[in-house]
Amino acid sequence: MNYGNPERADALAAQYVLGTLRGRARTRFARLVRSERGLADAVLAWEERLMPFAQSVAPVEPPPRVWQQILARIQGARAGAQPSGSIWADLRLWRGLTLAGFATALALAVVVLSPIAERPDQTLVAVLAGQDAKPVLIASVDRTGRTLRIKPVSPLNIAADRALELWALPQGGNPRSLGLISPSGVVQIALQGPADTALAQVPSLAVSLEPRGGSPTGLPTGPVLYSGPIQRLF
Amino acid sequence: MSFGKRTADAPDAMARDPAKQLERNARLMELLARTALADQRAFAELYRLTSAHLYGVALRILRESAAAEEVLQESFVSVWNHAGSYVAAKSQPFTWLTSIVRNRCLDQLRRREVDTITIDDEDDGMTMRDDAPTPLELLVSGAEALAVRNCVESLDAGQKQALALAFYRGLSHSELATHLRQPLGTVKSWVRRGLERVKACLEAAGAGR
Repeated sequence: MNYGNPERADALAAQYVLGTLRGRARTRFARLVRSERGLADAVLAWEERLMPFAQSVAPVEPPPRVWQQILARIQGARAGAQPSGSIWADLRLWRGLTLAGFATALALAVVVLSPIAERPDQTLVAVLAGQDAKPVLIASVDRTGRTLRIKPVSPLNIAADRALELWALPQGGNPRSLGLISPSGVVQIALQGPADTALAQVPSLAVSLEPRGGSPTGLPTGPVLYSGPIQRLF
Repeated sequence: MSFGKRTADAPDAMARDPAKQLERNARLMELLARTALADQRAFAELYRLTSAHLYGVALRILRESAAAEEVLQESFVSVWNHAGSYVAAKSQPFTWLTSIVRNRCLDQLRRREVDTITIDDEDDGMTMRDDAPTPLELLVSGAEALAVRNCVESLDAGQKQALALAFYRGLSHSELATHLRQPLGTVKSWVRRGLERVKACLEAAGAGR
């Protein structure tokens, strides 16, 4: 089959995404998509055109066993053979983090759409440091924003089977997990509301060392490596 | 055939209001990014927000709950392993997830192709419940949500029917020909022309890329 002709390639991509490209032709096409950039782009464009039509399908709650089986499989995989090298070295991860750029674009779109734009100069910042008081991580969020961004000052070394988990330390309450963070890139964390309210009773943030996948208990289980007070720059 | 409990309060994961959609997409992107960091809680939340819609899609195509459950399970394990390969600049999160599920459904169908799939015309294959919308109705309401209703309305009846059955039910060209009682060549050209018109129309409406 000739995939060289762009119109032909586009027509095949359309049939592939719709599902009418079947059998060996489908397998062959799927293989080519992985190696040919042009085909991959055509497939993505068709997915973007057709998949939104799936939104009209009524949702049906799957039985709980499906989630239990998924969980068993991903935890089983984790308990099994560890990949050589750290998962952080995984290229896929870094491609995933290009998310950040797009999310920024999206945030701008939201600002344009929303009548009340966020004031960019009113920021909450926390500098997290270890015992030697050297700054290790910087977290910031606009006071009306709902996305906290956190980034290490320089890449951190952690074991392949460990993860860094960020915690809000509320006054007189248990630490509340905000999610896992990357030892070398920016991570965006959604807060439960605008930072002003979501972090109102939270004087400081901390990062603990946890097993991969995060604390199994919902509370820090490993040592607290870094912490720092939240400063309000307004 | 049991299809499990229907979602009474579907999360607004599939909200149709554009502002809500932006918010939902941003949320799903963030969850995917955290899933790429092997954050299990983020992954659980992603499942909670999207699994009912994706399961609905799989059930429509496979028409068998055990097979749909298997596809859903495989798909989410794959999402866990490949969340990092999701590139937000290239596709919307729901698009990415639906594509994974549909591709796995189509693989399942292919494995089944040795068996003959008979489609009962009376029943329209929709044994889910009596008032379940037909693929054609889904196509029209899907188009409505996309504000491209005119595009879909402008398709010929045959094109519309063929695209709807292929998309929502995963029918192949030859299954379409049997189901619609038309020569294979006619059905193929309905699908081809229908797709071309959808593309042209979406591009004109600024909805396609």
